[in-house]
Amino acid sequence: MITNAIQQKRKWTIAMAEPCNDDTLAIRLTAGDETALHELYAEYGKRLFAYALRLTNDHAKAEDVVQDVLVTVWRTAYRYRGEGRFIAWLLGIVHHTAMNAIRHTSIAISDAMEDTIASNTLPPENLTQRNMQSEWVKQGLESLDSDHRAVLELVFYQGLSMEEIAKVCQIPLGTVKSRLSYARQKLKGILIRQNAEEWR
Amino acid sequence: MKTHTEYEEMLPFYAAGGCTSQQKREMEAHINLCHECQTELTMWKAVSMEIDTSNKTISTPSDIPAQALTRIRASKPMAAAIRQSWQLLKAQTYLIQSELWPVSALVMLIGVLVAVIARKDVVVYLLSPMMAAATLSMLYGPDHDPANELTRSTATSPWKILLARMSIMSCYNLLLGLIASLGLLFIVKPEMLGTIILGWVGPLAFLSSLALLLSVWWGTGIAIAVTYGLWLAQYISFKSIGILMPSPVWSNFLTEYKNFWHEPLLLVGLAFFVALAALWSANLPMLRLSSSIQ
Repeated sequence: MITNAIQQKRKWTIAMAEPCNDDTLAIRLTAGDETALHELYAEYGKRLFAYALRLTNDHAKAEDVVQDVLVTVWRTAYRYRGEGRFIAWLLGIVHHTAMNAIRHTSIAISDAMEDTIASNTLPPENLTQRNMQSEWVKQGLESLDSDHRAVLELVFYQGLSMEEIAKVCQIPLGTVKSRLSYARQKLKGILIRQNAEEWR
Repeated sequence: MKTHTEYEEMLPFYAAGGCTSQQKREMEAHINLCHECQTELTMWKAVSMEIDTSNKTISTPSDIPAQALTRIRASKPMAAAIRQSWQLLKAQTYLIQSELWPVSALVMLIGVLVAVIARKDVVVYLLSPMMAAATLSMLYGPDHDPANELTRSTATSPWKILLARMSIMSCYNLLLGLIASLGLLFIVKPEMLGTIILGWVGPLAFLSSLALLLSVWWGTGIAIAVTYGLWLAQYISFKSIGILMPSPVWSNFLTEYKNFWHEPLLLVGLAFFVALAALWSANLPMLRLSSSIQ
């Protein structure tokens, strides 16, 4: 099942990477073509919204972010010069806008809150193996702060390379690696704790 | 040979299906031998699936583009028009042949040096309009614009693109002419500066707009040949071609022709109408067709 999902996503990633009318779309936006904005949203709206939602964790806030992003894209489309993928450029704007939006409202999840999350999980006997796996991953992702969630989203859903992630998040390559490493440690820690709960 | 840490860093990208075939082969060889990476791969695949699953349930609000456009339209029309024009100018600056900028500056620099060394300010008068005509004739069309096909397929009218490029290049040419004139202060008195500038500004405006019009219709080569021919024709000397006593009609015509190049107001006025013709021509379907066939 996991393999199928990955294969399906790979096909989708390849399809998205095929040359499309991104350059034309940017030129049309620069020229003030309103239908180009609708086309952009039809093409990339879901991915932009998913990333905004992943960063903000709030549906209404994610809507505001995407709306701001569209306004920004409309005003700055001339800056896109075809260097790199259009989606990476768009996600960079989403990242910047979302980070500005959550800067003052973000609450980092502490270890104490993490323990609460772990203790609130359903008893293992009520969960199938598949559900249990999904549950700990969900807990693990929720325990990460928006910076780390962002990197995971960009790797697994948006299909970006390490260099593209660095550009989107405006961080050095080393920081991308360290965020992935931190996410791995955190997820492994929760997985181990979860396994210990099952054995108890 | 990669280290375990490097494989560990690559593992999420492998799990996401984002590795090259070479990386994939290396990764698979390592995973077969490394129990730790096998465990981590299972974890990353589970993370990948969870992220996919949670994103599948997302319903994207359909009215976001409409709301964004309402906000965009609500901004002041004048401010929006200025912003759009500025964006168009910036976008077109990158599409003008990059060689034109340094080459025309270099030619003007050489011109000023020659003028100063030879103590002949006429060099700048001669050179400024010729340089401007050459650069304006290389602004548009498939020979000079790698993005020509793309540009033509967009909603921006060809005349707007041409106007943007003409404005950018004309400002640059004027700036070069002014700098070159300032360079002449080594050999002329400061009070002569105004006369020198008035001397070349009219011919520069007329010749460059004529070169633009001709290049839109017949291409760069013809545009340069015709404009240079018209400009240099004022220096035709009957003695040098063996005619000692030209007819009075010819003589009068040549005198008038030379005077024509010293009428800045008339030349700028003519340049305006020729530039309008060039912009109008850019939208003609037959010219669009012929330029894409070239």
